[in-house]
Amino acid sequence: MAKLEARGLTKRFGEVVAAQDVSFRVEEGELLALLGPSGCGKTTVLRMLAGLTPPDRGRVLIAGEDVTPLPPEARGVGLVFQNYALFPHLTVFGNVAYGLRFGRRLPRRERSRNVRKLLELVGLSGYERRRIHELSQGEAQRVALARALAPQPRVLLLDEPLSALDAALRVELRGELRELLKRLSITAVHVTHDQEEAMAIADRVGVMREGRLEQVDRPPELYERPRTPFVASFLGRANLWPGVIVSLSSGEALVEVAGVRIPAKGEAPAPGEEVYVFFRPEHVVIGEGPYEAEVRHAEFLGDRWQVHARFHRLPLLLFAHRALGGKVQFRFREPPRLLRR
Amino acid sequence: MALLPLLFLALSFFLPLWQVLSQGLKAEGRWTAARLAQLLSDPYVLHLLRFTLKQALLSSLFSLALGFPLGWLLARYDFPGKEAARAFTLVPFVLPPITVALGFILFFGNSGYLNRFLIGLFGLSSPPIKVLYSLWGIVLAHAFYNAPVFARFVSAAWEGLDPGLTEAARTLGARPFSVFLTVTLPQILPAILSAFALVFVFCFLSFAIPLALGGARYATLEVGVYLYARVYLDQGQAAALAILELVIALGLTYLYIRGGGIFTSRGQVGRPQATVKLFSRPRQLFWLPYLFLSVLVFLGPIGAVIADSFTRPWQGQGPTLAWYGMLFSPAQSPFIGGSPLASMALSLEVAGMTAFLALGLGILVCWALRRMRSVLLEALLMAPLAVSSVVLGLALLFAFRRPPLSALASGPWSIVLAHTLIVYPLVVRVIRPLWQGLDPALVEAARTLGAGGFLAFLTVELPLLSRGILVAGAFAFALSMGEMTAVAMLSRPGLVTIPLAIYHFLSARRFGAASAMATILILTTAGAVFLWEYMGRRLLRGQA
Repeated sequence: MAKLEARGLTKRFGEVVAAQDVSFRVEEGELLALLGPSGCGKTTVLRMLAGLTPPDRGRVLIAGEDVTPLPPEARGVGLVFQNYALFPHLTVFGNVAYGLRFGRRLPRRERSRNVRKLLELVGLSGYERRRIHELSQGEAQRVALARALAPQPRVLLLDEPLSALDAALRVELRGELRELLKRLSITAVHVTHDQEEAMAIADRVGVMREGRLEQVDRPPELYERPRTPFVASFLGRANLWPGVIVSLSSGEALVEVAGVRIPAKGEAPAPGEEVYVFFRPEHVVIGEGPYEAEVRHAEFLGDRWQVHARFHRLPLLLFAHRALGGKVQFRFREPPRLLRR
Repeated sequence: MALLPLLFLALSFFLPLWQVLSQGLKAEGRWTAARLAQLLSDPYVLHLLRFTLKQALLSSLFSLALGFPLGWLLARYDFPGKEAARAFTLVPFVLPPITVALGFILFFGNSGYLNRFLIGLFGLSSPPIKVLYSLWGIVLAHAFYNAPVFARFVSAAWEGLDPGLTEAARTLGARPFSVFLTVTLPQILPAILSAFALVFVFCFLSFAIPLALGGARYATLEVGVYLYARVYLDQGQAAALAILELVIALGLTYLYIRGGGIFTSRGQVGRPQATVKLFSRPRQLFWLPYLFLSVLVFLGPIGAVIADSFTRPWQGQGPTLAWYGMLFSPAQSPFIGGSPLASMALSLEVAGMTAFLALGLGILVCWALRRMRSVLLEALLMAPLAVSSVVLGLALLFAFRRPPLSALASGPWSIVLAHTLIVYPLVVRVIRPLWQGLDPALVEAARTLGAGGFLAFLTVELPLLSRGILVAGAFAFALSMGEMTAVAMLSRPGLVTIPLAIYHFLSARRFGAASAMATILILTTAGAVFLWEYMGRRLLRGQA
C-alpha cells in the first residue's frame, strides 16, 4: 500500500485548468519531486494534498485512508512553504513548538525537549530565542523545515523550499535536505521548477505540464527515456527533429527527417505517422559519420564547447572539445529515440 | 458568523433607520411624499440647504488655501519640527469639534485674545476683527479643522512623485514655476480632488462648529434636524429633514466613492523626492507670512483654550486652578444639569464601551468581508458610514422609545450604540488593509501544523493585527470622547458627556469652565491616541 496516493486530482480556477486528472503514488520513505515550469499546477497539486485547496474531483489517500474531506489540521501532513511563512510574532522556539502546542497539544516540558531535538537536527541548536527577522534565508529555511517536522507528520510536503536561496546555498542545502529526509525516512513530495534540484533530491520525479502529469520515473530513466517531447526538452538539452516514419522492422524504425532517412528505436506507430526523433547532444559523435551538419557558432562553456549547427535547416546542438567551424561529419552513439508528436 | 454583525446592524441600525423613514414618509398610516414636497417649498428649509452647501464649498476652498502650502512645506522642505508638524496633521482626527469652536470664540471672538491684543497695541476703540457668529466664522473654523487633511493628501502625493519627471522637465528648459504648473500640479491634482471631496462631505455634515458658532440663523441641515427634533420638538419635520439630508449625503458619498477610483493617485515610484532646507535661499522668505498666519490660525485657538482654563474668572493676577477645582468637585452645576465629575465619568464609560464594541464589531465585519466577497454584503455591513451622526442620533432616539431597544433605555446605551455605529467603519478601515496584507500562507501554515481555523485566527492573525487593533481602539476611544452630534440628539437630564457639557458652559458663557473641560478633553483624546500608539510600538517592537 502506498503511503500517499493521489487519484485523479482535478482543479479548475475559472477557465484555467490547474490540475487535470493527476494520479501518482508515493511509497513509504520515498521522496517524489513534482517538476514543471511555473504555472504548471504543481503547487495546486501540493495544496490539494495538504487540504488547503479542495479538489474539484479526485481523492487523496494517506496510508490507504481517504483524507479528501478532512481539513488540513486533521490530515497529519507537514508543509514547508515557498516563502517559509514563519510566524513573525513568535521566536524560533515558538514557531517550531507551534504544531506541538496547538496541534498535538503536548505538555510544555515535552514540547521544549522536542524543539531542542529538532533544532539540533537541522543544525540550529541555541537558536530558540532568536526572532524570525534576525534569521538569514538559510536559517529561516531550516526553521521552516523543523517546524513542519515537529508534529511528526505522516507525509511531508515541500513547496519550492530552496527557491528563495542564492545559488550556492541552494546546492549546499539540497544535499543536506535529502540526507536529512532519508535519515528520518520521511515520505515526502517536493515541488520545484529546477530540474537539476529535482533530479538531485528525489527518488522519482514527476514532470507536470499545463495541469497534467506527463511522466513519473527515476531520474536516469526520465533523462534517457522521456516519453513526451516536453519531458525530453524540459530536462537537460535535447535535439528534437520532426520526421515521418517510412518503414518498421524489429524494434527499429526508419524515419525521414529533412529528406534524410535516420534509423531510430522506440515504440513506433504505423508507417506514415509524424513523429519526433530525439537525442541528446552527448549522443552525437563528431568525426566520421553518415550525416553532415554545418556549424553556425560555438560557445565556450569551460569544460567543453557547445556547438550550434544546422542539419538541413534543422537546429542541431552538440558538444565538442574544441571550437568547430564549417562542415562536420557526425554519427549517433546509439540510435535516436522516437517520440510521438 | 457573518450573520452576527448583520443581526447587530439590523437591530441597532436598519430598524431605527426604518422608523425614521416611516416617520417622515407616512401620514395617517399611509406612505406619502407630501411631507418631503412640503419641506422643499419651505423657505427656511431652502435657506438651510443653500447655506449648508455654500458654507461647505467655501470651507473646502479655504481649507485648500490653508492646507496646500503646509503639504508643500512637508513634501519639499526640511525644517526643525517637521515631524511634529506632520504629526499635527493628525489633529482633525483627535481634536473634538466643540473644542475647536470654543478655541475660535476665545481667540477670534470680539473680546477674544486676538482682538484684545490688537486693541491694546493700536489703541483702538472697537474690535478690528469681526468674524464670529457669521458665515466666515464657520468657514474659518472648518478651514482650521480640514486644512491638515489637504496637507496630508498633498504631501503624500507629492512625496510619491518620481523626481525624474521634474528633472526631465528642467533639462528640457522649463523654469521651476512652469515645471510646477505643467508637471507637478497635474500629478498631485487627483489627490487634491480626493481631499476636496472628502472635506466637502465633512463640512456638509458638520454639526458642533455651526451650532456653536452660527446658532439658528447660520444653521446647517445637520443642525436643522437637531433643532426640529430637540428644540422645536417636531418629530415629523425632523424625520422628513433627516430623509432629505440622508438622500443628499448618500449622493455625496456615492460621488466620493465613485470619484475615489478616479482620484486615487499612483503610489511611490523610484527615488524619493529631494528636500531643501527651509530659508536656505532669500526667496524662501516668502514663506514667512504663511508660517505666521498658520501659527496664528492653528495654534492660537488651542493656546487660547489652554490659557483661558488657567485664567481667573474675575479681575486678578496670575494663573489659577480654580476652574479645575470646580470640575473635580462633586458639586452640581446648574449649566449642565449635573456635576462635571459625573460628565467626565460618563464620557470615559461611554468611550470605553464604544471602543470595546466597535473593535468587536469591526473585527467581525473584517472577518465576514474576508470570507465572503460580495458587494451587497459589503454595502450592508458598511452602510452606517453613509448616514450622518444627526440622522443616526434621530434614528436611535426613535428606536429607544419602543421595543426591543427600549429595554436598554435606562443607561447610556443609546449613546454607546450611536458611537459604535459611527466609529466601527473606521476600525474596519484601519484593520482590513492590514488583514489583507497578511500573507495567507501564515494561516495555512498554522492549519497544516494542526490548528483549526479559529485557533489559527487566535494564535496567528490576531497577534499580527494587534498593533492595528490597538491603534483602531485608541481612535475609537478618542472619537467617542469628542463626539457631540449624536450625544446632543440623545442626551437627557443626567446624561451629559464632556463635549455636551462644554457646549452648555459655552452657551452660558462660562468660558473658564468650558476651557478647563476642553483642555481635559484634548489631553484625554490626544493622550489616548499617542499613548496607545507609543505603547503599541513598545509592546510589539520587532514584530511585523
